Amino acid sequence: MKTQDRLKTSPNFQDADAFYECLLDAHFGLSREQSELLNARLILILANQLGDTQLLQACLEAAKPVDLN
Amino acid sequence: MLETKTDYAGTAFTNGYEFARGTGYGLPEYPFVEPPELHASEIRRHPIVIVGGGITGLTLACALARYGVEAVLLDEDNTVGVKGASSRGICYTQKSLEIFHRLGLYQRIAAKGVQWSVGRTFAGDDEVYSFDLHQQSNFNLSTQPPFINIQQFYIEGYLVERIYELGHVDLRWKSRVTAFTQNTDFATLTVETPAGSYQIEAEHVIDASGSHTPFHQWVGATMQTKHGDDRWCIADVRFSTRPPVERHTWIEAPFNENRAVWQHLMADDVWRIDYQMAPDANPDEVSREDVVRERLQRQFGPDVKVEIVWVGPYAYRSRCLDKLRLGRVFFMGDTAKIVSPFGARGGNTGVADADNLAWKLAAVSRGRASPALLDSYNEERLEAAQQNVLVTNRTARFLRPADGMERSFRTAAIGLARQYPFARALVNTGRMAVANSYTRSQVCEKTGGQSVQNVAFRWAAGSGAAEGTVNDLLQWAGGDLLVLVFGEVPPAGLQRLRQLSQHAPLRSVQVLGPDEHAQAREHVRDINARGAGHLQGACHVFGHAWALVRPDGYLAATGESVDGHLVAAVEKTLGLNL
Repeated sequence: MKTQDRLKTSPNFQDADAFYECLLDAHFGLSREQSELLNARLILILANQLGDTQLLQACLEAAKPVDLN
Repeated sequence: MLETKTDYAGTAFTNGYEFARGTGYGLPEYPFVEPPELHASEIRRHPIVIVGGGITGLTLACALARYGVEAVLLDEDNTVGVKGASSRGICYTQKSLEIFHRLGLYQRIAAKGVQWSVGRTFAGDDEVYSFDLHQQSNFNLSTQPPFINIQQFYIEGYLVERIYELGHVDLRWKSRVTAFTQNTDFATLTVETPAGSYQIEAEHVIDASGSHTPFHQWVGATMQTKHGDDRWCIADVRFSTRPPVERHTWIEAPFNENRAVWQHLMADDVWRIDYQMAPDANPDEVSREDVVRERLQRQFGPDVKVEIVWVGPYAYRSRCLDKLRLGRVFFMGDTAKIVSPFGARGGNTGVADADNLAWKLAAVSRGRASPALLDSYNEERLEAAQQNVLVTNRTARFLRPADGMERSFRTAAIGLARQYPFARALVNTGRMAVANSYTRSQVCEKTGGQSVQNVAFRWAAGSGAAEGTVNDLLQWAGGDLLVLVFGEVPPAGLQRLRQLSQHAPLRSVQVLGPDEHAQAREHVRDINARGAGHLQGACHVFGHAWALVRPDGYLAATGESVDGHLVAAVEKTLGLNL
């Protein structure tokens, strides 16, 4: 299976709305700097859950904003 | 002679160390002898000329001398080390120590230097992670320890004395190369000496003259370079406190304005303390004695008594040539690549460069391998150089993150490392150097390319000495290939081995378990003094198998039965089908 195929692009959340709410709640009341640190910690923790180098690279690729021109 | 040298001489400032301070070291001096070329009318052609008598050039010279191959070494100085510039490298890997063991200077290094295996990394007042290399399988099989710390000039001094002992290599001091030309068959060098200048020709030129080499320009070498703005200041000191014999690194040291600090022991009870400075720090200012003393007091307390042996500020860069061979010229050590000092990947890779080329030059000059084998030096050592540049650049980036998100991720990684083991893997204060593997070499099979640790085994019964090592077998092979055949072999296989050994530059040894039956006169038992067998593991094979080992202790290929595959592997290893 190609790496791009292994990147899940259809929903895999057990409860998407609940996660999104939790994410926003975690940032509630934080300064921009504190939020930045929280995000950075979160990314590192999530990345370790995946572990797979190629999958992580595919995630980084997929995360880049789409060019709108 | 170096053993007794603990007196410190006056400082001379040379070679980019213009801000260096401290009492310095007394270094040995070697005599300039007028070479015969000075008064000869005809230009002499030498098979091998090495330029530069640092750790890399001297290792190559010593390795060639041990193979009995003639060479000339030109060094612009008449001493080892850089005058007044302390020791440069301090930390030698297991692979380097195994090479020095083969060259016959390991005992001196072990007696003078300091062994260590534990490293600890701190952030603020907390330890965020530690390692003990003795516990790691890629280090724990060899008879050499994971690391020994010792001032670089001691090793260089031992190499010089060993070369004088072995002969074959003509060490020419105070000989500076001032001009160079080459054609397809040979190069011509102009050499300047105190007694005048002369020209020599060389079939192979090895440039080991260091980071300021003129050869890059002479041959039109191209390279990839990266400059950082990170500034560091080394203080080599002797003092009244005795820190533990461990590698300590701080990412954020409270006693250094939350910047990084390294602390490491060397021979003669000298400690190297390396401080990360502010990016815009003035090198003259940060290396002033009162400033250095104040910094040391912040770290070790106001009462510490300090003798400053040497102080030197530096900024690092990385550089890697695109090709390590251009015509008749081979680049090695700092002429091949420059890395930041994290993880001891500079000098150690120079030593490995030298060991890689030495056996190939010897085999080619003795007519036992194809001249095409020499091109594999570029493939193998360029891969190593690129790997070391990559790894050290990552460390440099962790230690000096750009403002903004890079710094946020570092803060996140350090914070997480305090709480969770997984994040310790992200904390990068230097990844210690290893013997680089060769994955794209045309002279190694896919099963080869890894270094074989110098493990111990038992000699055949009645041979006197109890234990031998892989290096003893390599020594016995004398620059030829070594095939280790594990387990009992069918008669046809034995016959093939005998024939192959007669016709190819190859020596074979049967390696047996404690109870297996010996069939070959040359056999050893894979069991060491502690009752364990490590030779198979070191060769990455299991059960009935053969392992083809090169004179540099690298695996060329492995296989199962002694058949045409082994014959093909021998040819490939010698560059005969390139």
